[in-house]
Amino acid sequence: MTETTEATGAMDGERPPEEREFTVVERTQAQLVLRRFLRHRAAMISLVIFVLIVLWAFIGPHLWHYSYQKYTPDNSQPPSAKHPFGTNSAGYDSYAQVMRGTQTSLKVAILIALGSTFVGAVWGAVAGFYRGVVDAVMMRISDLVLTLPLLAIALVISSRTGGSWYWIALVIAGLTWAYVSRVVRSTVLSLREKEFVEAARALGASDARIIFRHLLPNSLGPIFVNATILVATGILTETALSFLGFGVQPPDTSLGLLVSQAQTAVDTRPWLFYIPGAFIIAIALTINFIGDGLRDAFDPRQQRVRQ
Amino acid sequence: MLAYAVRRVLVSIPVLIASTFIVFLVVVNAGDPVANFATSRNPAPSKAAVAAFARHLHADQPVVQRYWNWIVGVLHGQWGPSVEPNLDIGHDLLTRFRVTVVLVVASMLVALVLAVVFGVYSAVRQYSASDYAITFAGFLFLAMPVFWFAVLLKQAGIWLNQQTGSTFLGTIGDRSPYLDVNTFGNQVSDRIGHLILPVITLALVSFASWTRYTRASMLEVLGSDYVRLARAKGIRRGKVLTHHALRTALIPLATVTALDVAQLLGGVVITETIFQWHGLGEMLVQSVSKVDVYRTMAWLLLSAAIVIVFNLIADLLYAVLDPRIRYD
Amino acid sequence: MRAPTSAVTRGLTLAAGLTLVLAACSSGGSGDNGKGGSHSLASCSAPGKADTCNSGDRKPGGTFTYTIEKNIQQWNVLDSNGNVFETGEVMSAVLPQVFVPQPDLSMKLNTDLVTSAQQTSDSPQTIVYKINPKAKWDDGTPISADDFIYYWRTMNGKDCPPPPSSDTSQTKGCLPFSTSGWDRIKSVTGSDGGKTVTMVMKKPYTDWKSLFGGGYGLYPAHVAEKVAGVPAGSADKMTGAQLTKGWQYFNKTPPTKYATAGAYKMTEWKDNDHATFVPDPKWYGKTKPTLKRLLFKVISDATQEPTALRNNEVQGIYPQPQVDLVSQIKSIPHVTYTIGSGLVWEHFDLNLHNPVIGKYKALRQAMFTAISVKDVIAKTVGQFDSKVKQLGSHNLVPGQPGYQDVVTPTGQGSGDLAKAKKYLTDAKFTGIGTALKTPDGKAVGPFNCRYTTGNAIRQSECQILQSSLHNLGIKVTIKPIGAADLGKVLTGHQYDIIVFAWVDGPTPTSNAQGIWSTGQSSNFGGYSNKQVDKLLADSVGQTDTAKAMSMLNQADKIMTDDAYVLPLYQKPTFFAVQDRFVGMRDNATIVGPPYNVQDWGLAK
Repeated sequence: MTETTEATGAMDGERPPEEREFTVVERTQAQLVLRRFLRHRAAMISLVIFVLIVLWAFIGPHLWHYSYQKYTPDNSQPPSAKHPFGTNSAGYDSYAQVMRGTQTSLKVAILIALGSTFVGAVWGAVAGFYRGVVDAVMMRISDLVLTLPLLAIALVISSRTGGSWYWIALVIAGLTWAYVSRVVRSTVLSLREKEFVEAARALGASDARIIFRHLLPNSLGPIFVNATILVATGILTETALSFLGFGVQPPDTSLGLLVSQAQTAVDTRPWLFYIPGAFIIAIALTINFIGDGLRDAFDPRQQRVRQ
Repeated sequence: MLAYAVRRVLVSIPVLIASTFIVFLVVVNAGDPVANFATSRNPAPSKAAVAAFARHLHADQPVVQRYWNWIVGVLHGQWGPSVEPNLDIGHDLLTRFRVTVVLVVASMLVALVLAVVFGVYSAVRQYSASDYAITFAGFLFLAMPVFWFAVLLKQAGIWLNQQTGSTFLGTIGDRSPYLDVNTFGNQVSDRIGHLILPVITLALVSFASWTRYTRASMLEVLGSDYVRLARAKGIRRGKVLTHHALRTALIPLATVTALDVAQLLGGVVITETIFQWHGLGEMLVQSVSKVDVYRTMAWLLLSAAIVIVFNLIADLLYAVLDPRIRYD
Repeated sequence: MRAPTSAVTRGLTLAAGLTLVLAACSSGGSGDNGKGGSHSLASCSAPGKADTCNSGDRKPGGTFTYTIEKNIQQWNVLDSNGNVFETGEVMSAVLPQVFVPQPDLSMKLNTDLVTSAQQTSDSPQTIVYKINPKAKWDDGTPISADDFIYYWRTMNGKDCPPPPSSDTSQTKGCLPFSTSGWDRIKSVTGSDGGKTVTMVMKKPYTDWKSLFGGGYGLYPAHVAEKVAGVPAGSADKMTGAQLTKGWQYFNKTPPTKYATAGAYKMTEWKDNDHATFVPDPKWYGKTKPTLKRLLFKVISDATQEPTALRNNEVQGIYPQPQVDLVSQIKSIPHVTYTIGSGLVWEHFDLNLHNPVIGKYKALRQAMFTAISVKDVIAKTVGQFDSKVKQLGSHNLVPGQPGYQDVVTPTGQGSGDLAKAKKYLTDAKFTGIGTALKTPDGKAVGPFNCRYTTGNAIRQSECQILQSSLHNLGIKVTIKPIGAADLGKVLTGHQYDIIVFAWVDGPTPTSNAQGIWSTGQSSNFGGYSNKQVDKLLADSVGQTDTAKAMSMLNQADKIMTDDAYVLPLYQKPTFFAVQDRFVGMRDNATIVGPPYNVQDWGLAK
């Protein structure tokens, strides 16, 4: 996005791969992507913030002297040196709770992203590769999954499992993989006609090898970008479920749960409302920027357009 | 194309049957409305009342039989009993549909118009400060929990009302229960006053993603050869934008909009809860949390039908707008 | 490198600006805090003021919108499906009752309807009601003995039997919410042109004042007779099928469609949204309604109520209080509020079906003694209501005649760890304070503590219990109950310890019998004590209320010693209205604040 990025980015991108073989150093596709990503300023800043949040959420609780599940004698205290994020009415330290909440929300979001990306990518690739009846049946199953209302399924899970974070994540992943499968399928549909797939087939590669060594690696761009979006939507979906009472259940906590418990506290105990909300926004925002950076890195065409 | 549409609808029938069966099983196992009835009243209802309630809900029958009876009933226009006493599910569905349609359509229109305006502006002024601002705002909207934003928006709305000393902006329901001066003009302004806050809430996410979409496709079109050619031929910039670029750029937006209808229907749940619109979103929350099987199924059928129809529209739109695509 | 940096900073500035604007908005409403007027509802908590506070001269006109939290589809509050608080609130605005539960929890004779209601004989117990000659349904039909007879015959469980087992529609019979009291009536007869009603009991009934009222008004018999196709005034001769027709009509029909007899008349019901009432021109009572319009608006999410009140979309709300909600209301100008002590009380229940809990009384006593109710209150409702104290009875609340604190003298709820441990050492438990074992060497626990999900207060209660019992060496896991699962958990005994609430009704004795007697459907924890059963059964059938209450307290002492249920506190109620109105008062009983809608009006 910078002027320098512009220049080099343009040069890197414009050269077709065959030409590059004649330059001094050969760069792999991955190196190219990485270089472009590193030059994406917003994405890099976001990545740093995101990593800091992750470290804080996972290491912080071990260093902090209050636990998210032990109440203190200080009820409803505003932020202070003792309780940097204040306390809630039962006297829980909000700093400990926000750390735990961030941790849970991240775990939920990442499990959603990994789970649905893996299943969706394989599903979409297989469907797109075989086409015909296999494709039709597999895609109708995806359609079926897309019609299932998340709320109804989440209710059962929350009443049957006590709302553990991994169940919530599995349910959301169990419904979102179908979106991923559609995206991957359409990418694979166009890839399978490309010459390198023809070549692999001619060399006697098995179907599994073609799918896993050729089709999927070449769809990594859309898959990565989608995965980052899924992290962001995962956090927001868990938040929405918590608002409706079907998300992570106490005594565990999540950012969504914290913020929905503090709905009425905007005026009266603002620290309970704004802080977890700010963390949700920070995570979703940085992830979106990272996704944007990845998109530009994988597919630099959009960036170059200038009038 | 008609044959294609018919085939698509036919294919979706088995999907619908499987989906309703799964949801039926899920909801039936979500809890026990009969036990809830028996324990939620004070004094406790008599054994006769509990038994009558159970029979009314067919809770004494095996699940597969209940499902089969439900399908047969629906084909005869009967939606089955509800946990709520005296609730006619068909009537409930229809009245709530009317409420939700207003909200969703208004939000879509607002989001679309704003998305096109800001998306095009953003693309034309790529890398300008306003492009960055629009991009950042878009990302911010996509990152905000809907209800978190809605809570703040409501506060802002009330503050505005207090500054102007009016109650123009409504925070509860889709209209006032009564109007002191009941003229047509007042009715319209009352409805609009109640629409503004929920529409902003619901349109926010769609606006953000559609703006990104418009910007991207506009950029692609602006970089294409025919636009360059048009400019090279000396056609004015404004004319190229509106006559050549915009039309092409809007094609993908049209299909995305159609596909996003389903998402909007999902998003309406939170908006309706916060602004107390008694529409389909509230219906889903109520029926799911009360283990109201038949009411959930009615919701599911309607929303699935909407999703199927709009997915079909998206595909057909694609073919209509882009002559390269043909369905046979 | 310039462009993106500035873009990001600009973006951040924009975001910060947005937050600032919104923050400014959110605090704007509370800016002029302090000129909130006289806080006239505040006086309601002063002793002896509950029934008279917030009164004042009224001027005609004005629209008052009161908030109810559920939609109404079942209009017969006497039906077990319709026996819902919101239905009771709405119907008590239009249907007459003999005794009306008052804010101070007493039962007050409604002299608009009857000039007197007296027990004229003890044996057999006989009650004579003299109907006010002015009392009329708004279609002109006088209120008469026929209405009383009709009421009794639909409720006694015999004249209009429940639907047969072949009926799947719940419509082929009457399903009254309770038959207690009604099944003890021998006869209800009219005399003096239908203006005197004589009720003779087969067996005495202590809570006779709750009959024909107490939150459950009279439905117009002549309307039911018309629906059933029988001559007016023949309620005493109607068959089961005919009574059913009337009953089902009242189940399905909002009172806009038939004659009512309240200060207001419901003119419109918009499903899921609101009911509109206007003064009934045929109102016969002493106090005339002055509001131009009265609305009951459905807001199903209590968290949206304070904003609706602030935005003047409603003028009165009656939500479950919670610390933020109370402070939110405090900051709204021109709104007056009161925090009252309700009839709903929170408690820990032990499941006696659990072999260890059921077997050892000493263990139960120790568990209850180790819990500090004071701590529970401080972490929960104490934060917005400093008056809340430990409740000392399983059947009555302070202020009700006969209330006696039987719990605190036993030390239960004191948090006295030494005393709790002594119970255990005396009963030869081992591992006290580390890992508790029964005298025969079995591990005690781990027990689960269950509460309905999303209820932050109950979550804290379970957590305090957890840490209290930890001190005795009992491990407790906290397990929320799914949103739709409470019924199953209770009836299926799927808990060791559970925290929920009971509501004390206008009939303490029959209420107690339904909850604590052996084998009753609401006796979820499986408590059984023959002495208690006997005392409770006797207390229901007394002609002398004081005697009945002393029996009730005697039973309660035994039950407390058995340590089955630990009462925590009365849940506070919270009522807020704009201070330009007068006449509204908190009423914690089943009628709710609308018990006196005729007194509501714009302040002069």
